[in-house]
Amino acid sequence: MADLGSFGSLASTINAVASPFRGYLNDLYNKHRVLKKGKVADYIPELALASPESFGICVVSTDGQAFEVGDCEQTFTIQSISKAFVFGLALEDHGRKYVNSKVGMEPTGEAFNSIILDEATNRPYNPMVNSGAIATTDLIKGRNGTERLKRILEMFERYTGRAHDINVPVFLSEKQTGHRNRAMAFLMLNFGMVGEKIDETLDLYFQQCSMLVNAKDLAMMSATLANGGVNPVTGVRAIDERYVQDVISLMLTCGMYDASGEWAYRVGIPAKSGVAGGITAVASGKLGIGIFSPPLDAKGNSTRGIKVCEELSRDFGLHMFNTATPKHDLTSWMNGDDHSLGW
Amino acid sequence: MPKVVSVHSYRGGTGKSNFTANLSTTIAAQGFRVGVIDTDVPSPGIHNLFCLEQEEVDKTLNDYLWGEASIDEAAYDVSAKVGVELPGQIFLVPSSVKPDDIARILQVGYDVGKMNDGFRSLVRQLKLDFLFIDTHPGLSKETFLSIAISHVLLLILRPDKQDYQGTAVTIDVARQLKVRRMLLAINKAHSELNLDALQAKVSETYKESVAGIFPLSEDFARLASEGVFCVKYPAHPLTKEFQRVAKAIMEGD
Repeated sequence: MADLGSFGSLASTINAVASPFRGYLNDLYNKHRVLKKGKVADYIPELALASPESFGICVVSTDGQAFEVGDCEQTFTIQSISKAFVFGLALEDHGRKYVNSKVGMEPTGEAFNSIILDEATNRPYNPMVNSGAIATTDLIKGRNGTERLKRILEMFERYTGRAHDINVPVFLSEKQTGHRNRAMAFLMLNFGMVGEKIDETLDLYFQQCSMLVNAKDLAMMSATLANGGVNPVTGVRAIDERYVQDVISLMLTCGMYDASGEWAYRVGIPAKSGVAGGITAVASGKLGIGIFSPPLDAKGNSTRGIKVCEELSRDFGLHMFNTATPKHDLTSWMNGDDHSLGW
Repeated sequence: MPKVVSVHSYRGGTGKSNFTANLSTTIAAQGFRVGVIDTDVPSPGIHNLFCLEQEEVDKTLNDYLWGEASIDEAAYDVSAKVGVELPGQIFLVPSSVKPDDIARILQVGYDVGKMNDGFRSLVRQLKLDFLFIDTHPGLSKETFLSIAISHVLLLILRPDKQDYQGTAVTIDVARQLKVRRMLLAINKAHSELNLDALQAKVSETYKESVAGIFPLSEDFARLASEGVFCVKYPAHPLTKEFQRVAKAIMEGD
């Protein structure tokens, strides 16, 4: 990545603000801001406090341009979105073969918190359901809980380019009410699919889910994946390039809970959602999308987030299997070479 | 397609507001719908040229930037005040001249993204053919945005060493911001200068076209910003020169 210098970096910011693509995102924002569908998660009191009005859309291109509209700086807990990225770290720690022996890669069609394991192998179905995510977190190396947490936080810092904190009240609430997750962990312990350090691993799992991010971080994370594992702004490698496809393919098949099949068909941008209202979506080689809007549909995905991804996919041909000429050409809209666009 | 025109200069007192008012009026008089935004929030003034009095102003650009008004609520139809007739129309979005408002915007700053959204929204809601952006002199985030978004950047300079150097800097910045089209206008050229030679030299130095050259004028000074010059003096040589620059703005893509 070229060193732009102070003026170059400001010029890049200004060009992104002035680009027709940001104008397009602003129209999307205004169109869906008034959407009243969905319900803010309330299984713990901290999440129920989120404002249903909060809404931010950020897109980061693989050449490092950031397009932001709305509440892109407001932080919220990452929740299930962490699962995809921690899975990548587990792959780096142990390699594909070993990780695959502990957690499968098959969508369940069941809700994210269902207590089921593959009967033949005793593995949880995939790393995106709670059981699979706990088994994945169990694989994260480190001498103790603190070191393992530090490794996870440092990994996210490589993706986003900034340090992250844990929201302690959310962590404590998740821990206090997470009986179902504890039950799953013990079931997996019974089958020898997770190690003996159950309490440490569960703490780590609740902590990774309680990490604070904003919509821009989510866009930066998916842009990093879209860019082959290298953060397009800082130039730092966040994940071994061999495992980028593992993370993205499981986002495609399992990332949107039990709506993943319909998502792959309708939107076709591999994505992962979280119960606090975040969505991160990867258009490989092109861009990353980060959205924050707390109201969720019945399957646990952000209602405004779904709409935004659907329209972006349709208008710019971002569906991974799209071969038709899209309504808008992404490069021209982002670079603003043609200033007749978007007025 | 609507056309956004930013009127800018590196230094103050070059005549940005006067150029903005005269050019926008000249274009509106030809039957176009023209918007003018005063983005010079630290030192607003163009409302005087359009004879928009303080007691007539409720919402301003400041209110829009603070999220306290929509951009069209801050737009005033000044067509009748400057004598523009239908189908031509001219709308002004003034900045606030209240010290508290100026202090607030300087202290807190504002989101340039919101400013950009305001430009687009004003163009759509008022179905504008042209949007003129009157800027604060010098380089700032806000100026960069105006430059980056405009289809035509009109840079005004005086035959003065300080202006020459500043204009070079501004042109360099504008090129990095991928500006579509740049036009130069030379203002306040004193009577001993050979105008043709000056125009050729400026154009050669900056490798940009000079759309107009305006001699220092007693008549202009006498009007003292109380109205739009080209309306008051329709046959004046300066009015002809404004028409020439307006034509250059309207031509081209």
